[in-house]
Amino acid sequence: MPNLKELKNRISSVKSTRKITSAMKMVAASKLRRAQELAESSRVYADSLSFILSSLAGNTKNSSDLPEILTGRENSKISLLIINSSDRGLCGGFNSNLFRNAKKWISDQQGQGKSVKIMTVGKKASSFYKKTDLDIVASFEDLNSNDRQLQVSEEIKNKIMELFESNEIDEVSILFNKFVSAISQEPTYQSLIPLSNEETIEDESEFNNAVFEFEPDKNELLEYLVPRNFLTQIYRSVLESSASEHAARMTSMDNATRNAGDMIDRLTLTYNRTRQAFITKELIEIISGAEAV
Amino acid sequence: MINLKVVSPQKVIFEKEVEMAVLPGAEGDFAAMPNHSPFISSLRPGQMAIMSSNKVDESFFVSGGLVMLKEKVCEVLVDQIEPLSDVNSSNYQQSKTYQELEGNETALGTFEQVVNNPPYK
Repeated sequence: MPNLKELKNRISSVKSTRKITSAMKMVAASKLRRAQELAESSRVYADSLSFILSSLAGNTKNSSDLPEILTGRENSKISLLIINSSDRGLCGGFNSNLFRNAKKWISDQQGQGKSVKIMTVGKKASSFYKKTDLDIVASFEDLNSNDRQLQVSEEIKNKIMELFESNEIDEVSILFNKFVSAISQEPTYQSLIPLSNEETIEDESEFNNAVFEFEPDKNELLEYLVPRNFLTQIYRSVLESSASEHAARMTSMDNATRNAGDMIDRLTLTYNRTRQAFITKELIEIISGAEAV
Repeated sequence: MINLKVVSPQKVIFEKEVEMAVLPGAEGDFAAMPNHSPFISSLRPGQMAIMSSNKVDESFFVSGGLVMLKEKVCEVLVDQIEPLSDVNSSNYQQSKTYQELEGNETALGTFEQVVNNPPYK
């Protein structure tokens, strides 16, 4: 028979766990709202920028005129993957999904004869990849405190420009959890070098009826635009990832709260049954004692 | 009237109909007015002025960016922007723009100049 005192302790500890998880859920929900707003309001800039870039690149008929950093190098040998994880745990499969996905991507790249370098964003990724034998070029942590996202994105951008120019990397992709909805996040790759040109096709009709004049000339503009574009893409992925993180935490904490509730119900039932069994046992003892007299 | 839309990487700063906006283009100041030919330019640090009937209504300092001009739309993608009504020669060193531009001597010099003596008044 279970010990009554033990059961009581169990119940109270599960109850306090439930309190914590439900508080975390509330916090995640409110942070999610903010992160979502931030992600949405930053979209205007990113969209305009990629429109400008695509009209500029589209205007240059001969792609060999475009700088290497836009079109990528031929025979690329070394790929860099930027992995956007979270700083904290307790967010369900958020990080493990990402790492599983990255593992597949890395072995794909290695299958194509490329070597892979890693750049980690968030504490979880840096502690995970430290244990592997992959080459980590840089780690960035602590993004969500004090709105450091833009600043860190800038640092990442500078780092990749520097690595590309010194020929240490030929390709750059970024992996992040795309925010689909509050209950669904999707690991997504985006190629930075070479520039993925999804937007170019989308905007073509609109851009055809406006032929822009450029000032200063195209090459100088590109020199300014390319790093700007990296920055916005990185910034965008960081924001998406942070919205996804809060969403993932919210759902997993919601589940945890519900599980704790179920557990409390079960434990309370056992507790009451045990208590009754004790009472019945005591009564039987008293009655049979009285009968014996 | 032309639709002036000012956007920073974080958010849309404002969007409104204006008669004319003077912007510090990389190769000289230019005025954005309706029916300007389609035009894309980068910006140098300087003053952005919103004007109506030859008077400056509002004035800003921009630290750089891009501008895309279409028939009725003027989209300005700025790095840093500060309304000049908020800063004067005594407090400009505390402003956010000043702190962000730290280390960039030329931009800071222009900022100081624009604060003390804006080209468009």
